[in-house]
Amino acid sequence: MTSATVPEPSGPPRTLIVARGIGRTIVAVLGAIVIFGVFMKLKGADPISAYRDMWDSTFTSGDSLEQILVKATPLILAALAVTVPARAGLVNVGGEGQLVVGGIGAAAVVMWFGNSMPTGVVLVLMALFGAAAGALWAGIAALLRLGVHINEAVTTLLLNYVAVDLMLYLIYDPWKDLNGSGQPATPPLTSREQLPLIGNTTVSMGFLVAIAATALVWFTLTRTSWGFRLSVVGGNPEAARQAGLRVGVLLLSSMLVGGALAGLGGFTQLAGVEHKLRPGFLLTYGYIGFLASWLARHHPVRVALAATLLAAIAVGGDSLQLDSALPAASVNVLMALVLLGVFGWGARKKAVAA
Amino acid sequence: MNLGLEVMAGGVRGGASILYAGLGETVSERAGVVNLGIEGSMLCGALGAYAANAASGNPWIGALGGAAAGGALALIHAYFVLDRKSNQLATGLVVLFLALGVTSLFGAAYVDEIITPFEIWKVPLLSSIPWVGEIFFQADPLTYIVYFLVPITWWLLFRSRWGLLVRGAGERTEVLRTYGHRPQLVQYIAVVIGGVLAGIGGAQLSTAYANAWFENMVQGRGFIAVAVVIFAARQPFKVAAGSFLFGCALALSPALQARGVTINQFALNAIPYVATIVVLLLLGKRGASEAPEGLKKVFEMSPSS
Repeated sequence: MTSATVPEPSGPPRTLIVARGIGRTIVAVLGAIVIFGVFMKLKGADPISAYRDMWDSTFTSGDSLEQILVKATPLILAALAVTVPARAGLVNVGGEGQLVVGGIGAAAVVMWFGNSMPTGVVLVLMALFGAAAGALWAGIAALLRLGVHINEAVTTLLLNYVAVDLMLYLIYDPWKDLNGSGQPATPPLTSREQLPLIGNTTVSMGFLVAIAATALVWFTLTRTSWGFRLSVVGGNPEAARQAGLRVGVLLLSSMLVGGALAGLGGFTQLAGVEHKLRPGFLLTYGYIGFLASWLARHHPVRVALAATLLAAIAVGGDSLQLDSALPAASVNVLMALVLLGVFGWGARKKAVAA
Repeated sequence: MNLGLEVMAGGVRGGASILYAGLGETVSERAGVVNLGIEGSMLCGALGAYAANAASGNPWIGALGGAAAGGALALIHAYFVLDRKSNQLATGLVVLFLALGVTSLFGAAYVDEIITPFEIWKVPLLSSIPWVGEIFFQADPLTYIVYFLVPITWWLLFRSRWGLLVRGAGERTEVLRTYGHRPQLVQYIAVVIGGVLAGIGGAQLSTAYANAWFENMVQGRGFIAVAVVIFAARQPFKVAAGSFLFGCALALSPALQARGVTINQFALNAIPYVATIVVLLLLGKRGASEAPEGLKKVFEMSPSS
């Protein structure tokens, strides 16, 4: 890549380019909505009333606003888990598994040390264990990438399945709640192991954790030398190596930080929302977080907003299931179409000469 | 039937869908395009075959439906990575996500549908050979077809003129262009063939192996296929060996459970994925270093936007 020596091409002014990018993005999103409408029509549902129901149930009641923030909490953290490695050019598709092991790590504190710890300390320890478990899970993929050049996209995907099997093993066997009925699960957390709720809402303090994480990631990526080095590696690893940067250490650290963020997401879901591990814990959240990060092209603040947007679509998807009798997973179609639209026709990436 | 025999026989029939997808991914990657959406093509193929089977009552028409559905999804991947130049790894996942949504949207109606599955056909004489017969020659027709597809794919890739173009498109597109070929068209064809093969793999899964459709039934087999292709260094015969090996890993859990072994089911379920990672660890380096030039660009550096 020789673009460093090439002078800025004289083109239309920057504001016009940005405006065009926004315009194209809007067209892409509208296109996605139309195509999904056609799909719904094919399934015999009335798209207009389905969209109206989605809109109403998503934006016109305070309850659903809370629901969006509840769903957005692990999504923001899962998305940031993609963002940090992506800055260094890595594709972390392991958010799904890293969220789950984060939940496992947090639950382990309760299962192992239970009542022996003072209130407050237990929550901090749960968060630390969750983050460490997520980092460990992502670290496996990073080491395989550095040691034997296996692309992290493939290994993180495979590790997702292992993480889910590990969780199922624990909740069906050693950690099973013997007093529980119905679906197997871990014993519910006691109140001192739960994250407090914000005011009178159903939103837990976990949401503040996600906001704080966003701010922190934004700061580290844009204002610290580590963040700067990551983007140098992401831009051109060969040049970074020649400039004396320790590329391996940077790649590994970006994955560890990413995994820790997703692990925190698992912790907030366990301690703030579900209060126990059960089959289906945070299912597909990791993949939706992946979409959010790519949707916002890995800018931390925009990523958090995109994750919240996708959380809103997901909440709308629940209304699809209730009002139009479509499977909840159908909303994945809408998310995927929006992203394809943005990939294909959204703000174009900077032209790379080569 | 003893355990080893049962696992190996199950490995061949259970590995056949992975092998279809693996051969498809091999063709696609030889042309320089990684398609993680192969998992989605399998899923679309599984539902497409199931639906076409239920409608026609004919498993072969079902398999054609699966092939078409898998190919159509791969065409979307091809368009976005080749024409719109979007990131191959991320696009593959988005395409998979699309497939997850579309198949759950249209698949719900088929969960309890009755189909006419492919029947087990015992090859005369060959099937009575001890061990070998039971493992390889008491299978469904789609499994037999994939036996032939392995050498055919090898021949097409390494001995035919078309294969030269595909490999050229994966290594040096500019050379192809110099000689008046259209590398992008070659890549399009390779990616779609990959999707068609994965679609037939999905068909084998839903209408010859499991004889059922349920949401997200592929369960990572497509991702395992991608991993197999990497450590098999994109060589069809090695892909076949790897696919059958992982078929065995998948067959181990039900075989042990049927015998009342008290190992936790979920620990067993993780075996194929863990085994894939371990084999990647042992053999992956060579697979990566022998990758076509075009692929190395994708795998070594994935630009962040």
